[in-house]
Amino acid sequence: MPLLETVDITVHFGGNVALDQVSIGVEPGTITGLIGPNGAGKTTLFNVITGLQRPGRGHVTFDATDITGLSPAKRARRGLARTFQRLELFLSLSVRDNVRVAGDICNAASIGHRIHVNDETDRVLELTGLTDVAHKDVADIPTGRARVVELARALMAHPRVLLLDEPASGQTERETEVFGQLLGRLAGDGLGVCLVEHDVGLVMQVCSMIYVLDYGAILAHGSAQQIQEDPAVITAYLGTTKGAA
Amino acid sequence: MHLFITYTIFGLVLGGVYGIAASGLVLTYNTSGIFNFAHGAEAMLGAFVYWDLRFNLHWPAPIALFAVLGIFGPLMGWLLYVVIMRGLRDTTEVTKIVVTVSVALGMLYLSQWIWNPRSPRNEELFFGGASHVKIFGSTITTHELIALATAVAIAVGLRLLFYRTRTGVAMRGAVDDPSLLQLNGHNPDRLAALSWAMGAFLAVLAGVLVTPISGGALEATALTLLVINAFAAAVFGRLRSVPRTFVGALVLGLTANYVLAYFPKSWAWTSDFRISLPMIILFLVLVVLPQDRLRGVAMRRTRERTHLPSVRTAVLGGAALVAVVILIRQLMVNSDVTTLTVGMTFAIIALSLTLLTGYAGEMNLAAVSFGAIGTLVVFHLGVTGHSQAARTTLWGIVAGVVVTAIVGALVALPALRLRGLYLALATIAFGVFLTDMILLDVNPHKLPLIHTRFSLFTQGSLIMPPLKVGPLDLRNGTTFLVTVTIVFAVIGIGLIALRNSSYGRRLTAMKDSPAASATLGQSLVKLKLSVFMLSAAIAGLGGILMASALGSVTADNFSIFISLALLMLTVAMGITYVSGALLGGLFSGVGFAIVVATFNHLADNHTDLHGLYATFAHVAAVLPALIGIGLGRNPSGAMHDVVEMWRPMRRAKPVLAAGAATAVLLYVLALTDTITNWWFVILIFVLLAALPIIGQMVMPEAFLGPEEVARRRAVVPDELVGVDAPYTPQLRESLDRALGFDATPRPAVPVLAAEREPSYAPAGVGPPTVEASSDAPA
Repeated sequence: MPLLETVDITVHFGGNVALDQVSIGVEPGTITGLIGPNGAGKTTLFNVITGLQRPGRGHVTFDATDITGLSPAKRARRGLARTFQRLELFLSLSVRDNVRVAGDICNAASIGHRIHVNDETDRVLELTGLTDVAHKDVADIPTGRARVVELARALMAHPRVLLLDEPASGQTERETEVFGQLLGRLAGDGLGVCLVEHDVGLVMQVCSMIYVLDYGAILAHGSAQQIQEDPAVITAYLGTTKGAA
Repeated sequence: MHLFITYTIFGLVLGGVYGIAASGLVLTYNTSGIFNFAHGAEAMLGAFVYWDLRFNLHWPAPIALFAVLGIFGPLMGWLLYVVIMRGLRDTTEVTKIVVTVSVALGMLYLSQWIWNPRSPRNEELFFGGASHVKIFGSTITTHELIALATAVAIAVGLRLLFYRTRTGVAMRGAVDDPSLLQLNGHNPDRLAALSWAMGAFLAVLAGVLVTPISGGALEATALTLLVINAFAAAVFGRLRSVPRTFVGALVLGLTANYVLAYFPKSWAWTSDFRISLPMIILFLVLVVLPQDRLRGVAMRRTRERTHLPSVRTAVLGGAALVAVVILIRQLMVNSDVTTLTVGMTFAIIALSLTLLTGYAGEMNLAAVSFGAIGTLVVFHLGVTGHSQAARTTLWGIVAGVVVTAIVGALVALPALRLRGLYLALATIAFGVFLTDMILLDVNPHKLPLIHTRFSLFTQGSLIMPPLKVGPLDLRNGTTFLVTVTIVFAVIGIGLIALRNSSYGRRLTAMKDSPAASATLGQSLVKLKLSVFMLSAAIAGLGGILMASALGSVTADNFSIFISLALLMLTVAMGITYVSGALLGGLFSGVGFAIVVATFNHLADNHTDLHGLYATFAHVAAVLPALIGIGLGRNPSGAMHDVVEMWRPMRRAKPVLAAGAATAVLLYVLALTDTITNWWFVILIFVLLAALPIIGQMVMPEAFLGPEEVARRRAVVPDELVGVDAPYTPQLRESLDRALGFDATPRPAVPVLAAEREPSYAPAGVGPPTVEASSDAPA
């Protein structure tokens, strides 16, 4: 049984079906991809998983427990972390404090087990390669780096599953490459990663399992190879490369 | 049965009028995203203008009505949008709320300027009181019938507008996604302007209809608050649905009348209860409202900026403040000392806003009302001794502060799950409830069970003796002033330390992005609750000290408008700065009152210039509101600009020293009565404003940094070489480079051409051309 699982999640916005019986699973130590055209419901699914959006039907389980009714904060404390597609950084804080405050929140919420926020912040900044911009105002760094700040912030809580919403958009090719390597290392340490991304190259390269979402429903799932060969996926999302054949 | 029918009809009429007002609120909120706290003030202005046209100038009713409803109302709404509200898109909720609060206060002051509140005014019923119809044996005046019919027409009309017309449908979409609306060929700006015009029309309509029903007397503050009752109805409609809003309004009107009909008249608080009913209902609705979805906040255009001082700087600042206050004390007569003390207690209340609004991004529109809670507790529990020997005890103050924090928790709790706006509404409801109900509980009544006679606000005026703790006796005015200043400094330093702590970072994180905060594991309700309680405690302490400084307080000292003015000025001065709280508190506590009083005094003493001075006094009364309205342009507040200006002065020590010497000289001159205190104040302000400018001229290195100054000095635009600057080998060489000649590199080249270009090259023709040509040898 996967660490994180959604079962038959359905969300309506008025008359529009945003998600229709979506079931996905994220295993620890692997990177799971979630791709699909704009408006397919990828971010909505993330919102349901993290508790920002209540599903009309279906449930979310984490570590074999039903967490559908829990608040976002309680889910986070169980080991769920995410980044946002539209950046949600703490604009009044420096890069370092953006990361550090995640540790502060952890400490405030947990009884007993405390992390050494300062050391941990330094470690995470080092790991994500943000040390050089640590004292900058977070509003003053380019989008690509800002996405890494969101990742670093999410890592502070030592999550078991990390949801990344389009982390590569706004990144340079070089940055994306480094980012992919970092994801691989994190998964190697046992973290379960769920990646929403339009950079199909990155997804195919790092993901062991890929779900394709279209009009709120799962169109296909499988390994990178299976997805690339799936005719339905090619029609709906990937398209054909003329002249390549 | 007869009674029931009569009061049902009255209830429907009142509810209908509330519905008209509330639907206007919902309309503007939905199309522009701004909850209009000035809605009641618009209604008030409309009622006054109608009164003036109809009963002062004796225009015929239809023409007066057309002028007010057809021209004045819509024009006012449209102007408000175009001049003020349009600029608020993409600002924080706090800014939006404070700006509309400022508009409300401005309108209130304006009305008192035009229509002297001391002369009574009465608006009569349409067709007079004698014109009536009989329905089921109940007498209903024609005016009430008209009001009811108008309400039905408005409800049906709005429904049709929103669901049957293209404009109405677009209006519903305007707030959700203006850019999408624009793509579909609508102009969100025009729609918002239209909705503000309609909103003001509805407010004015409600104002004109409701005044005669509720007695007919035109009283500016009462009228403004009357329409605040509509807030409850709007919240019932979740600020979105017009039909639900009307239902809420009817429930409100009916309940108010049933209370009037069936509650025993002998109960002292029946009428107070009826008046407070809308606020109580607002509270109950907040409790049952479903939780909002946490939405992400996108990066904002107008970002509030702030500089956070270190705790060390804060301690130095606090010490300096105490020293300055002690020095200033030497210049003052005794009566002024009390005034300054009161101002300082307001500054302490303002600190509660710095914490709550500045650090945590939450709102409290009734800070001073929390001070009233503390004062009540101290009055009943914390006073020992009688008459001259009466003293407030430290334990009394501690109890007052603790109770205030608990009351704060109870007030905030229902709204904490919801958006910030709802907390603002809950606090304003609390503030109005407090003045209407708690502070009107003046006559002793027998309490059940314990059989003692008791009233909360005994005799309508509480005598608050000064504090005595051990050797510290605050009977002495100077000791009181210095103590209050020290209390302010200590809380201020504490707040800065708090902001620098992990708790402070968590508050900032919640303020900047609640969604990210929650998904990192922060329980928003707990954090909001803790900060609200802490802030209420500070407000409680400030209120107790204020009451004690005044010696005796009445309900007027805790009016909601005082809270609103304090909030407005504190935000305008800089809500994230402790110094902003100091200035905001001093200004709202005493500052503007002194200016207004001074001008009024001058007006009374100089009959020949009476009109001029009276006008100045009025301008001074409206001025704070104008400052608040200006907030849309500068949400970081005035102190931020001051800090920005003064920061580089740290490096300009000689200028600082010269400034300090001048200040000391001025002080000595004032102390020896060589110059009057007014001149001292004016000259000090001039000095404070001029110092950074002088510093910049005298010591540019301090302001621009040594590199920047060197760079600016070294760079001579190429076209001016030989004109402004003599030919030097270096310049000749750089000119050669720029022109692409083969320049023999020499060791001592101070500035490379390539580095210099951006500072003077005209856009588009500079560096690329030069670089390209320098590749090709000429």
